[in-house]
Parts: sequence; structure tokens; C-alpha cells
Amino acid sequence: MPRICAALIAGVLATACVAERIAPCPDDWCGTAVIATPAEADVLFPPSTQGDIGRSIIDLVFTRLADLGPDLNTVDPTSFEPRLASSWTREDSLTIVFSLNPSARWHDGAPVTAEDVAFTYEVYRDSLVGSPARPRVLQIAGVDVRDPHTVAFRFPRAYLEQLFDAVYHMWILPKHLLGAVPRGELVSHPFGRNPIGAGPYRFVRWRAGESVELVADSAYFLARPGLRRVIWRSTGGDMSAAITQLFSGSVDVLTYLPPEAVQRTETSDEIRAIAYQPSTFYSYLLFNFRDPADPTRPHPLFADRALRRALAVAVDRAAAVRAVDGADGIVADGPVSPAMWIYGAEYERLPYDAARGRRELTQLGWRDSDGDGVLDRYGRRLSFSIIVPETSAQRRRFAQIIQEQFKSLGVEMRITELDFNTFLQRAETGRFDVFYGSYGGDPSPASISEVWTRDAIGGFNFGSYVNPDVDHAVRTALDARDIETARGRWTDAVSLINGDAPAIWISCTVPKAGVHRRFENVSIRGDNLTATLPLWRVPTARRLPRDRYDN
Amino acid sequence: MHRFVAARLLQAVAIVFLVGTLTFLLLQLAPGDPLSSTSSSLLVPRTVVEQQRRAFGLDRPILEQYVRYLGNLARGDFGYSYREHRPAWHAIRDRLPNTLLLAAAALVVTFGLGIGLGVAQGLRAGSRVDDVLSLVSLTVYSTPVFWLGIVLLLLFGETLRWLPVSGATDPVVYDQLSLLAQAWDRIRHLTLPAVTLGAIGAAATARFQRAAMLDVIRQDFIRTARAKGLAERTVVLRHALRNALLPVITLFGLAFPLLLGGTVLVETVFAWPGMGKLTVDAIHGRDYFVVTGAAVLAAVMVVLGNLLADILYRVLDPRTREAA
Repeated sequence: MPRICAALIAGVLATACVAERIAPCPDDWCGTAVIATPAEADVLFPPSTQGDIGRSIIDLVFTRLADLGPDLNTVDPTSFEPRLASSWTREDSLTIVFSLNPSARWHDGAPVTAEDVAFTYEVYRDSLVGSPARPRVLQIAGVDVRDPHTVAFRFPRAYLEQLFDAVYHMWILPKHLLGAVPRGELVSHPFGRNPIGAGPYRFVRWRAGESVELVADSAYFLARPGLRRVIWRSTGGDMSAAITQLFSGSVDVLTYLPPEAVQRTETSDEIRAIAYQPSTFYSYLLFNFRDPADPTRPHPLFADRALRRALAVAVDRAAAVRAVDGADGIVADGPVSPAMWIYGAEYERLPYDAARGRRELTQLGWRDSDGDGVLDRYGRRLSFSIIVPETSAQRRRFAQIIQEQFKSLGVEMRITELDFNTFLQRAETGRFDVFYGSYGGDPSPASISEVWTRDAIGGFNFGSYVNPDVDHAVRTALDARDIETARGRWTDAVSLINGDAPAIWISCTVPKAGVHRRFENVSIRGDNLTATLPLWRVPTARRLPRDRYDN
Repeated sequence: MHRFVAARLLQAVAIVFLVGTLTFLLLQLAPGDPLSSTSSSLLVPRTVVEQQRRAFGLDRPILEQYVRYLGNLARGDFGYSYREHRPAWHAIRDRLPNTLLLAAAALVVTFGLGIGLGVAQGLRAGSRVDDVLSLVSLTVYSTPVFWLGIVLLLLFGETLRWLPVSGATDPVVYDQLSLLAQAWDRIRHLTLPAVTLGAIGAAATARFQRAAMLDVIRQDFIRTARAKGLAERTVVLRHALRNALLPVITLFGLAFPLLLGGTVLVETVFAWPGMGKLTVDAIHGRDYFVVTGAAVLAAVMVVLGNLLADILYRVLDPRTREAA
């Protein structure tokens, strides 16, 4: 009897295994990419989506009027690539007119019209929606519908990045589906978990906490996507488990590989590391200009420009970057990431010179008078703390290395690791001496104004750094009308900032993703994992079983 | 019996109320709030953030927010998930079945495996089998659940590739499978998390069950049953095991909170889309109402588990009924 039962169970299970109603992918456009993500998207409503995961999904479901090219150049009109707009013309210095591609369709079959573009602009600029992109969209004075396939963007002033501001920050929304929804309710509308866009992939399903599935729109008006299906799979937030899933073949792409996993790909037959190029990141040790105990007073140490400069030149950033990011790490030389078109310009840099740093500290009166290994002056020790998010292993390692370098100078830097919320709250309220920050995602030098100017106090300018000359230089750079003038003014602004040393620039981290080797035509743009994903293919000979499933 | 259940239910309501209150207050005291817990939220102008705070009532005094929350809760409204931009109950509802499934499977492992091993050891006390099983159960019992999960994941997922290592289903094929195949897919995904979560409890149960079996097996009524010529199988299952189960039933009540605590770690390792992972993410995102709702639900499950254990105890042991 037990044997009969066992045989029955085995039979049932065997039947279960083969009783699939699988429709095989019928053509050459097969392939499935399973992307591992540490968390899941918040909401798939483009104006409100925050975080890289949500943005990588909406970038496939929705589309912009035009997109940046692979070099992320924000000022050269020829480097922009058409999307919903098939062409655009500059009517005058304040107006850009876009012609929409008449073949563009929403995934429910409705045509994409100029009304959708104007509606999108109104939604993004509405304070009730509260989009993070709102400050950039407010650079646009208005959007006029000229005819069903022509729309004009008006600007209140002439400047170099008008085209970038018109196209980059907004994914076009379907007015026929959302126009009747009160603006304050848009973000919580069911559309945000079941979106309909006009991008290369259609939304299929979202299993809460588990996966989001998209399928290629075979009738996509630009070019048919190379992969049939894309699935985001939440890996639960544990990095070692996520790496195991990648190397065990459970997933095809891991959005971020830590350095030790990058090394592992070198001997892997299945997984390779692909860099996000060009990097949009730079990290820095930010000095607080205000006293954490009483923000109305200057910081007892870092209000002193000479001290900041002495500390900045004393840090061997190249050695730290080699130790943490490896040989291909990039040393940051200002508030500029490699993705910005001004990267590498001739702005002033503070070179590494430990002897000079030590000499300048001595000239400032910092001496170890009590022999405790820490410099002091007028009874005050050269000792301060740095706050670091405990979630970032990379920033913790950098902080430890720099702590050792400072120690050899007689400078005591205590590392305080904080959970991200506390870290952010301490930064926002100015309760820190030094803050280990990282800025990224935006390829425009205009982002400098969001961190290093007086207007950014209350935003990303956590250290309350103010230099009226910098504010003026940034304003004139933002208003420049040609590339060479803008380059010169940005160079001046960055030189002024670097000269003040409001921070010690550390690294332009080049993140790497793990990608299965069967995919070809793979590249990853610096600002977004999926910007080039519609071009990925799986050659027929290299297909795995999961590549052959239709949805 | 009815009075007993009614009294315990009243206690349960008080406990759940206390848990909800404490969770709500502790979260409000933690740094940050739902509208400023991500770096991208800094790009939203302060005026807009303040406007949203007012709209959600986050600018009101804590006591007022709490009273309003209680009023909403009484109407079955768990509040709003700031992170998922939908009712908090919807976020919880989507994950709850997965956690219940995992906890139930882990309970089966804990008590099925634990009782089986304990009985086997009790009947062979002092033998080499008993020694080996004692060593194994002690080792497993001493193992952190997180570490055990990683080891099983590496062994069965990466090295042997026998079992899937993440999620509750295979998103690539699940919707194209027959119902039976879908069930099989779920079982395969459930195996490693359930074994990880249940194994440590099984080791503890085995040790309790072994000791209880040793106590019972030496009793006079067992000797009498054997003297009556009953089959050994009947003696063990009907007479010895039933009496030896009482201490283990106490464990059943205690297992519930441990399992719910363990699901947080196991769900993280195996990317199981359940309440544990949701709660951790909600804590990081200061998603107040999701955390409070999850804590209230967990409290309900724990008190119900304990109540069930008490009722089972009274059903199985007539002495407790007489004492009452």
C-alpha cells in the first residue's frame, strides 16, 4: 500500500511538471530578462515615481518626447534621439516646436496627441502632485497645442538646456485616461499600479513584493524591442542572497554588483559585469559651515577656509579610490560627474600634497601641545565626527581609509554610522560636523545649483555653504546661450567652489551591473539601467528555456 | 469553556490595543517621516512637502493623529501607505497570504518533524541513533536562522540547483502553468524557506518530545497496555504519544511569535513576498500605517495562536478542565 501511494504521488507530481499550458515564443523576437532588484518600485506613475527601480520600469512603459544619447550630453541638440517627437525646431530663442510621430499609440490603442503632452506638463508642474521634477519643469513657461501632432514649449528666458528641460524630466501621460482624475488623487489612483503608456513595453502584472512583468509592444512605433519579456524580481534586499540568485541562474541581471562580485564575474562563464557609462555620481565629505549645536553661529572648525583647504590637500584620494573602487575607479575633482559635459574642463583643483597640508595646519597654529597624537589650538583639539549611512559599505570603507590618513596628520575623525532616515534627518537639520554625501542621477551641470548655492539651503546644501561669487557664477552659467560661454562660466563656478573646499571630493563611482552573457548588444547608460534595454537581444543559439516562453 | 474563551478574548483585545498603541507612538518618535525618508524626496520643494504633510495630517499633534487613527481603525480603515501610494490594508492584504502560508508550512515542519524525531529518540533512548539525533538537533537549534537560510540557499540553490532560491513563484512561467503545476511550483518555492524557518523549531520540539516520551513510556499504564497484548504501534501512538503531546502543545503557543519573528529574516534571505519583508521596508520608509497595521495583525495572530494552544490543552488534558 505505501508503495502504491508513493507511486501515485510521484505520478501526480510528474503530471504537474509537464502539465504546462505554455505558449512558445513564436518568432525571432524571443528572450526574457529577469532583473533582480533589492526592493520594489513605489508606484508606476511617472511624476511621482522615486528611486531607480521605479524609474527603470517607467522608462520602458512610458516614453519621452526625446531622449539623451549614450554620452548623456545635455546641450548638444544633435545628440538627442527622437522618441514621441519625430522632430523639433527652434522657432525663436524662447520657443521649441515638437512634431509628434503620428504612428505613436498608447498601449490601449489610442493615438498619442499634443493634448497628452500639454496635460503632462500641467500635471508635472502642479504642486498638488508634488513631483520631484517640478523645479525643473517650472523652467518652462507653458506648453501650447498647435494641432493634434504639434506642440510648442515656451520658455521665459533663453538658455542652453531648454531642449533638455523640455524632454528629459517628463514621461508623457495619457490624458484620455487621467484627465478626469483630480490632481491630488493622481498618485494614489489605481493607474499607478496598472499603468498604460506608449513606450516599447506594455505593463502586464505586478505581484506585490515579488515581481513586475512587462511584455514587448510588437507594434512599438519606433522599433520592435529585442527581448519579448522583462521581469523585475525583488531579491529581498539581502545582497549575498541576490548574488547567489545571479550566479545560480535564477535571474539574468543584478542592478548593482559589489566589488567582490565584480571579481567573481571574471571567472564566470555565465555572468559579466557591465558598467553604467558615463557615471552620473560623485561622492564627497561635506563640511558643515554652521555650528551643529547652534546653527546661528559659524562652525568652530570648518568656517575656516584655510583649515578646510589644508585638510582637503592632505587626503590621498587616489589611494583611497584604488583601495575601494579598484584600478578603474575615478577620483572626483569637483562637484562634477563624468556624465556632465563640463567634466574634465580646466577648473582649479586642489592637488594631493600631505606635506603641504601638514605645513598649513602648523601655520594655522594647530600643534600637538599635549602629546596625545591629536593637534590642538587654544585648548581645542582638531577632532570632529563624520556621519555615514550604514547602508553604504562603500562610503563606510572610504571613511575608514580617510580616518587613517587624517590620523597620521594628527587629525581625529570619528565615524558615526547611522540608519538612512537618521542620517538624512541629521543632514537636513545640520546636526553634523562632516557628512559623507553622494550625488547622482542628473547629467546636467545645472544640478550644481541644487547643491552648492545659497538657493539650495533647505535642499541638498546641507552644509549651508554660501559664496555670493559662486551664486553669481552659477547664475550666469545657467543663462549662457552657447556652449563655449557656458563652459567658461561653469569652469569659473567650479573653480570657485573647489577653491573654497566646502567639501573633499572623493570618488566618481562607476556602478556595475551583473548581466548574463547570453544577451548581446548590451550597454547600460549612466543614468538608467533600462534606457538601452530595448536594444538587447538573445541570439537563437544561446536561448535558455525561459527565453522561449511567450507571455 | 465559553467563559474561559470569552475571558481570553478580552485579554487578547487589550494586548492588541497595547501593541498598536506602542507601535504607533514609537514610530512617531523615530527620526524622519514618510515624506522625507528618501534622498529623492529632497528634490521636492519644502513648500510642497509641507503641503503634503498638512494634507495627510502629519503636522497635527501625535495624540490627535493617534485618536484619528483609532477612529479609522474602528471603521476598518488601516490608513494610507505613503510608500506604495494606496490604502495600507491593500499593501498588507497582498502579502498576508504568503506569510500565513510560510508560517503554516513552517509549523508543519516544526511539529511534524520535531514530534517524529522526538518520538523516535524517546523510543530508542541511549542508542547510537538517539545520540546522533540529539547532536544534530542541538546543532540545528544553536544555528542562527539567517545563517541556516544562506547555507541552504547556497547548497540547494547555487551548488545543487535543485530548488528555487527566491520568491513564492517562478514569475517567468507561473501564469502559463496548469493549476496542478502552479501548486507544484509553489511547493518548490516554499520548501527552502519553510524548512529554514521550521528546522530550528523542530530541533527544539524534538528535545521536548523526547523528554516527554521518556516520562510517559515508563508509566504504569503503558506497561498495562503492553501486558494487554496491544500492538507496539498502538501503544506508542494511542497511549504514549497522546499523553506525551501535552508539553509540546504549550510549545505550539510559543512557536507563533517566534515564527512571525523568524519570517522577517527568512523572507529577506529568500525574497519571500510576505509581511515580514513588507514591515521591514515600511519601517525604513517610515510608512507609519503599514507598520502599525502589520504589528496589529501580528499581535492578533500571536494571541489567537496562544488561545488555540490553551483550548487544545484543555481538550486534550481533562485535568485542566476539572481544575477550572
